[in-house]
Amino acid sequence: MPDFHPGEWVESAVDWLQGHLAWLFDFINSVLTGLYDGVNAVLGGGEPLLMAGIFAVIAFWLRGLLGAVATFVGFALIDSFGLWSDAMSTLSLVIAAAVITIAIAVPLGIWAARNKAVSGVLRPVLDVMQTMPAFVYLIPGVMFFSIGTTPGLIATIIFSMPPGVRMTELGVRQVDGELVEAAEAFGTSPRETLTRVQFPLALPTIMAGINQVIMLALSMVVIAGMSGASGLGERVYAAVTQVQVGLGVESGIAVVILAMYLDRMTGALNQRVSPLGRRAAAKAAAALGSMRFVRYKPGTAVALSGVVVLALVAGGINIAGSGDDDTAGGGSSNVGKGEKVSMGYIPWDEGIATTYLWKELLEQRGYKPDVKQLDAGPLYSGIAQGDVDFQTDAWLPTTHEQYWSKYKSKMEDLGDWYGPTSLELATPEYVKGINSLEDLKGQGKKFNGKIIGIESSAGEMKILKDKVLPEYGLEGEYDVVSSSTSSMLAELKRSYQKKEPVVVTLWSPHWAYNEYDLTKLKDPKGAFGEGEKLHTVSRKGFSEENPTVASWLSNFKMTENELTSLENEIQNAPKGQEQEGVKTWLKDNPDFADKAAPVPGGDVKKGKDAGKPVNMGFFPWDEAIATTYLWENVLEDRGYKPNVKQLDPGPLYTSLAQGEMDFQTDGWLPTTHEQYWKKYGSKMSDLGAWYDETSLELSTPEYVKGINSMEDLKGKGDLFDNKITGIESSAGEMKILKDVLKEYDLDKEYKVVSSSTSSMIAEVERSVKQKKPVLATTWSPHWVYNKYPLKKIKDPKGAWGEGDSIRVTAKKDFKKDFPELHGWLKDFKMSEDDLNSLEAEIQNGAKGEEKKSVRKWMDARPGLVDKLAPVK
Amino acid sequence: MSRLKAEHLYKVFGRRPEEAVSRLQQGADREELRGEGTTAAVVDASFEVEEGHIFVVMGLSGSGKSTLLRMLNGLLPPTSGRVLFDGQEVTSLPPKELREVRSKQISMVFQHFALFPHRSVMENAAYGLEVQGVPREERQERALEALELAGLKGWEKSWPDELSGGMQQRVGLARALATDAELMLMDESFSALDPLIRRDMQDQLLELQKTLKKTIVFITHDLNEAMRLGDRIAVMRDGRIVQTGTAEDILVRPANDYVASFIQDVDRSRVLTAGSIMEGRRGGASVDGAGSAHVTAETPLADLFNPLASDDAEMVVTDENGTPVGVVDRERLLSALAEEPQVAQGSNGPRDGEQEDGTEVKAGA
Repeated sequence: MPDFHPGEWVESAVDWLQGHLAWLFDFINSVLTGLYDGVNAVLGGGEPLLMAGIFAVIAFWLRGLLGAVATFVGFALIDSFGLWSDAMSTLSLVIAAAVITIAIAVPLGIWAARNKAVSGVLRPVLDVMQTMPAFVYLIPGVMFFSIGTTPGLIATIIFSMPPGVRMTELGVRQVDGELVEAAEAFGTSPRETLTRVQFPLALPTIMAGINQVIMLALSMVVIAGMSGASGLGERVYAAVTQVQVGLGVESGIAVVILAMYLDRMTGALNQRVSPLGRRAAAKAAAALGSMRFVRYKPGTAVALSGVVVLALVAGGINIAGSGDDDTAGGGSSNVGKGEKVSMGYIPWDEGIATTYLWKELLEQRGYKPDVKQLDAGPLYSGIAQGDVDFQTDAWLPTTHEQYWSKYKSKMEDLGDWYGPTSLELATPEYVKGINSLEDLKGQGKKFNGKIIGIESSAGEMKILKDKVLPEYGLEGEYDVVSSSTSSMLAELKRSYQKKEPVVVTLWSPHWAYNEYDLTKLKDPKGAFGEGEKLHTVSRKGFSEENPTVASWLSNFKMTENELTSLENEIQNAPKGQEQEGVKTWLKDNPDFADKAAPVPGGDVKKGKDAGKPVNMGFFPWDEAIATTYLWENVLEDRGYKPNVKQLDPGPLYTSLAQGEMDFQTDGWLPTTHEQYWKKYGSKMSDLGAWYDETSLELSTPEYVKGINSMEDLKGKGDLFDNKITGIESSAGEMKILKDVLKEYDLDKEYKVVSSSTSSMIAEVERSVKQKKPVLATTWSPHWVYNKYPLKKIKDPKGAWGEGDSIRVTAKKDFKKDFPELHGWLKDFKMSEDDLNSLEAEIQNGAKGEEKKSVRKWMDARPGLVDKLAPVK
Repeated sequence: MSRLKAEHLYKVFGRRPEEAVSRLQQGADREELRGEGTTAAVVDASFEVEEGHIFVVMGLSGSGKSTLLRMLNGLLPPTSGRVLFDGQEVTSLPPKELREVRSKQISMVFQHFALFPHRSVMENAAYGLEVQGVPREERQERALEALELAGLKGWEKSWPDELSGGMQQRVGLARALATDAELMLMDESFSALDPLIRRDMQDQLLELQKTLKKTIVFITHDLNEAMRLGDRIAVMRDGRIVQTGTAEDILVRPANDYVASFIQDVDRSRVLTAGSIMEGRRGGASVDGAGSAHVTAETPLADLFNPLASDDAEMVVTDENGTPVGVVDRERLLSALAEEPQVAQGSNGPRDGEQEDGTEVKAGA
């Protein structure tokens, strides 16, 4: 048989098209991107819960009350996953794709229904569109349209088109021939027959087709994510390739929620838009009788006005919100340059409030604040030892007197920000006749002889026991129960609800006085002492080393109003999201940030090209992730605006060659990425290696005895089920592996299973856990060697060839566009130790928080940024 | 004066229809053509319909009657031959003018009603007017009138699926009446209805026809219906018209065995009239009208049973002016009812359809 490769023609055709029809692709690109951006601006612009409300009103209109509630819950869930903007991007992608698809599919379907020849030509074309694997046109899509939304949109449109065309054709054909004949018999023209009879009667089927279109479009979002379209698909893709099961599940659930919403809504849309559907709905409603209210749906006008009102509110908030963003983002607010500030706090409400307030403020100013919750003792000793930079909740001179007197030589007082406070006992107002501490005498039985205290370590407890009780002669009659502030508050709440008498240890300011009607018991003898002030205290030397923050803290003041409203906001925010509460509060107090932390005249070391966007791409290999996020952090510190995008190697090299991407850090040359370099090398520039001496190898767990070299594998096939776990079939290593196996005469005995790197690692993990033998295709450097007891199988014949070096590769004009960065990257080097510790930091850090993990690693290496990116 | 005239209509489906027509004209057999994959649905059909008449085309399924009907308003273009309506050649009109004729001059009522399920009764009735572009108020007014004529007053806001079959067909009738077309084509319009309702509808159509005087071509496979409604009846078989005539012509003088076998089950007493069985006395003795009961020549035989059962006397038959034209006695009545229809030329074979023009055939007896 002669070789026949139509693929080659396609390839040259693609080349030709790239050269000659660029203007067309640019046009299509801008149309599609514009459409997507428009939809996304509308959907993604609003406040999530308001948008969820709009979706719910639409559901109310289409499906009734139950649908509306389910919709709201579903979208609120997406928001609580923190996936809102991703979900809206996905929804925009689906809507943009569906609009275009329907605009093409419905007319095509009608044409096909009326013309047998068209139908005959379309059928095989539709078959191809539906069955051709999406990757096949996704990659050319990237060549023509560069990474981003457009190739994903086009793949989605192609994939979801067929059911739209088919169902439209079917629907029009299905219309009773006698009805069409009747229309003709009364002199209706063909066009009018279509609009008056065929189309309305086909509408239910067409709507079913549109439903299919939308569902298929949604199912394509993950694949679209591979070509760089943002949204849930990108999240799912990243999660799967980086073995982040949790993030994958959350994104998956978000996709399911969107799918169910879109499915139910488009399914129900038929009842609203098609006359037959309206008729069927009216009949069903009539049959329902007394259960009607369950199925009550508002009229179109009512629903529309609901949507409009919510949209206006959302728009209004959005405009106000964006105004805030401008003030926050305006100017060079990156004062901190990522400098680490360590804060500690005792979990008292005003401590939590102010600590998270400063955390947020410092983050806005470019610092990397680290927050620790501690007990008072450890906190003060931590400050004294210099482990903690400052805390905001020092009650002086009384409550924290013991600590202050002990450590004051090693601390600095940055001044008070609130005062005076007062300490007191309090009872609910419904406990009559108790207004003063004196009134407590003889009432011990009423309160079971108990005063509900707080932490035993608190100064107030000490004062209460040592001074107040003896002063008022309450000793013996009352027992002070020490617990914790939260237990005290819980006890107060419980008693308050049951209207039981209770005495609690409280202080002002406290939000409990807002929440409950409480009587502060008067202290005529002044036993609790003078009111205190809340001070900010720092470790010795902090104001010298960090004059900016220290001056902010010294000038820090809060009114009772500001403090209690902030505490309330935090109380209302979900648990563990104190900072969200702070953000909300800061929105309501827009001037506070600038007043509390004014940005001083810039002494920031910025790069020459500061403010310039840099597009970095990476594929999810560990050293790529590590170095890409490293450079993202470095570039941000230098004032650049780096954009990071995860891609597959193919699209990444394509976009580098086209100049869409600026650089990437993980070019394995000369072997692994040989194919890409051969093809695109001439359109790219090589900035040199930052890591030498990589190696490719097979590896096996250490407990698999007797396998140390490739030669040992011969005849041991049974041990490994004759299987070698491979990685992506596109990887260069997989190709070389085949030759390696031949070299050692193992190619008959072992079968290489290609999957993906993440699957390979999952397989290693599974095998190691079960102590089973496994042969994995691995390479060095890789953290897998740190995490699992793997040994590299020796290659005495050198069949794997020389190791690659890892190089920074960039677009052709990179040096011209980014002369400064070009210099930095050329000098970029990393030792195996550095790389391993960086990868380990990322592995140990939270999934999806790689950038933060890298920042943590960088913070442990002061001066690193100056070394990597020197600025004069 | 004939309103509608069909001249040598042929309709052939399949390959090279024109060639098939010329072969049929040269005497080729329909079966022969079928063997080659061409179907001759209508072969050389000619007839005329007088103004205000109901012309019934009767035949079994597959006899080509529906195809014939659809050639009359151009839904199907004839392969050969032409249709003249009011002297205008429908078959040669360009599409736009043809649609004009259909919307204003020829309306149609369908077997399965063909009501638009997405339109209310009123909107259905007004459909033809809507196509004509009649302004909304006027077309509602006229649709209401038509619905009232069809006996559907008060149902105009209902939907087709809420109506019984009979009522649905009344909507179909109203839709056809609303356009004021002179010619109505009715394609087995009552066949899908229950027998009782079908009878009601027939009565209503006859009632309407008394005032409206439309020219109607009515297709049916039911001979009783044909006889009840038709001023003239054409019997079709295998695409050809085998006999055209009045109900009585067909009953008394069937053109061939096929027609004869058809009319076996017909209630002769309701079709035959006193005039058709009377003993004429025009030539000989005059009829003595005095003393005897009188009936008109159009009285069906069924109405003679009672008087003749109780009275031995003859019944005097008069013409429309009351002039006696003949007599009927008991013996004559019974023999007329017992009589087997006689086929004109005694071919008893199953394939006697060659007889192309049944109207010329004289009945014996």
